Amino acid sequence: MVKNKSFLSERIGEFVRDLTGSGTGRLTIVGSSILIFFIVLAIFAPYIAPYDPTEKVGLSLEPPSRQFWFGTDNLGRDILSRVIYGSRIALSISFMGVAIAFLIGVPLGLFSGYLGGWVDRILTLIMDAMYIFPGLVLAIAIAAVLGPGVINISLSIAVVYAPTYFRIIRNQVASVKSELYVEAARALGAKNWEILLKYIFPNVLPSVVVVLSMNLADALMTEAGLSFLGLGIAPPTPDWGFDLSSGQRFVLSRAWWGILFPGLAIVFAALGFSMFSEGINELLNPTIRERR
Amino acid sequence: MSLRSYIITRIILALPMIFILLAVIFFILRIIPGDPVLAILGGKAPIEVIQQKRHELGLDKPVIVQFFDYIRGVITGNLGTSTLTNRSVFEELKDRFPATLELTIFSFLIVLVIGLFWGAESAWRKDEGLDIVARVYSLLLYAIPVFWFGLILQLIFASYLRWLPVGGRISAVTNFKIVTGLYVLDALLSKDWRGLLDVLRYLTLPSITLGLVISSVFLRMVRNNTVLMLSKDFVKAARARGLRKKIVLYGHAVRNAFVPIFTIMGMEFAALLAGAILTETTFSWPGIGSYLVMKIRYRDFPAIQGTIVFFALFIVVISIIIDIVNALVDPRVRY
Repeated sequence: MVKNKSFLSERIGEFVRDLTGSGTGRLTIVGSSILIFFIVLAIFAPYIAPYDPTEKVGLSLEPPSRQFWFGTDNLGRDILSRVIYGSRIALSISFMGVAIAFLIGVPLGLFSGYLGGWVDRILTLIMDAMYIFPGLVLAIAIAAVLGPGVINISLSIAVVYAPTYFRIIRNQVASVKSELYVEAARALGAKNWEILLKYIFPNVLPSVVVVLSMNLADALMTEAGLSFLGLGIAPPTPDWGFDLSSGQRFVLSRAWWGILFPGLAIVFAALGFSMFSEGINELLNPTIRERR
Repeated sequence: MSLRSYIITRIILALPMIFILLAVIFFILRIIPGDPVLAILGGKAPIEVIQQKRHELGLDKPVIVQFFDYIRGVITGNLGTSTLTNRSVFEELKDRFPATLELTIFSFLIVLVIGLFWGAESAWRKDEGLDIVARVYSLLLYAIPVFWFGLILQLIFASYLRWLPVGGRISAVTNFKIVTGLYVLDALLSKDWRGLLDVLRYLTLPSITLGLVISSVFLRMVRNNTVLMLSKDFVKAARARGLRKKIVLYGHAVRNAFVPIFTIMGMEFAALLAGAILTETTFSWPGIGSYLVMKIRYRDFPAIQGTIVFFALFIVVISIIIDIVNALVDPRVRY
């Protein structure tokens, strides 16, 4: 990342210009609109959804009709209502998973990079080992032992993404800690924690903001994958991934609505997250834009 | 450094990585959950049964002893015994590995063809039609969960059109000698053309599903790295000399972008393995991924742990291979 020494206000100004002017700005706007749409769905689900998502309200496997826009599943539940309520689990787990990952990875990275020595070496080795592991496999392993539940699934996702934050922060801290302003602070008598929190932390934070938004899309997909495999939330709570796995049993009965709609919800939410993050990424890193 | 000493150093360097990976897996699966015996038997089992089981699994020993027992087991190829089937986990994995390998190889071929050619061509015609389609393609496929894509293909090609089977690996009527476990290869070896066609029909949907979804990231990386190379002086010089596009693009630009591309290929292989778990479950493909999911359903912890260890070792081996090939292609890597 290129060092950007301009003032925050300048950066915000450029940001707004970019947002309204260029093509990438449009990406950010579309992405964040999709995000806001899903957040509204999640918060106001009881007012938006036409039926109770866990009640039998129609016949089994009714195709989409005026009464049930997205059809019904094998238990006669309204799929539209389940998709709307499903955004609650999807959003809360991806936000929580990424937040926990951030809270584990960033402090560890700060200390590791600042302290150096054998603590740093061991932590780096462990985090590197976790980093090269395929994320989903790691999450599956943890989810398998922790069992279902919002917190447990968020934790399994967090373990996958914590090493990313650790690595970025650690490397940044290691390079920043020999900068002149840190030495100046030390010469002025600042204590270690002061240097870490007041001088180093604000300087390394921007580098993970982009990663934060990028991880949201990944976390959403990981959650969907876990619940598709039956490792997510216990039924009957509406969950896109789980609904897909129950819809799969009716592929040969051509009950396409049970597969199409929950899947589209995942795709749109993931698209929203990744467009948003891509836009933010390009706005914050002008070098990427030039390479296009 | 000579190539041979590079390879040896690389393998020696991988050993601590393997050790740490094994430790992380052990820690996650043994320490965090508390008591795997209770998880297997449920909370209401009588105390004698619980102690018996604990002894069977070696869980009554101190943790550190357990850890070294486990490390010794992995080194000697003993991944424990499945509590569900009482078979050696290693044997069970060996039976299922060819299915996963076959699926990943075919998917990887699809990833390569799409990624390399489309990536290179859209780098050449940057910001034109083909390139814009490529960008939309990779953004869209990145957001599509691999299992959902599989379900949609099943719906279209297996349920509505009835062109291809909905899942499985081979028809009951097909019967050729299984030598390698890679059915395509086995059918070729026994010259059973009907069987080959049958096996390919089963392979089509899963490998297309996995291949297309994974190709999105790869395509982008190839494109971006080739764009970078195309702006370099040696490419301009090649163009100025009037070389044909094919030579400039593939012989100069893509070739020099190969080291980063190859490194990404290694990472993509890891993603491919993870994707294989979901794809195998979607298509009831009898590989290691669906094995893991089944074992989780029955809370067969030794088998779960063994499978995860297997995945870890596989990833390390792939990363070593990638580095060695990189060193072969580009001597600079060795220094």
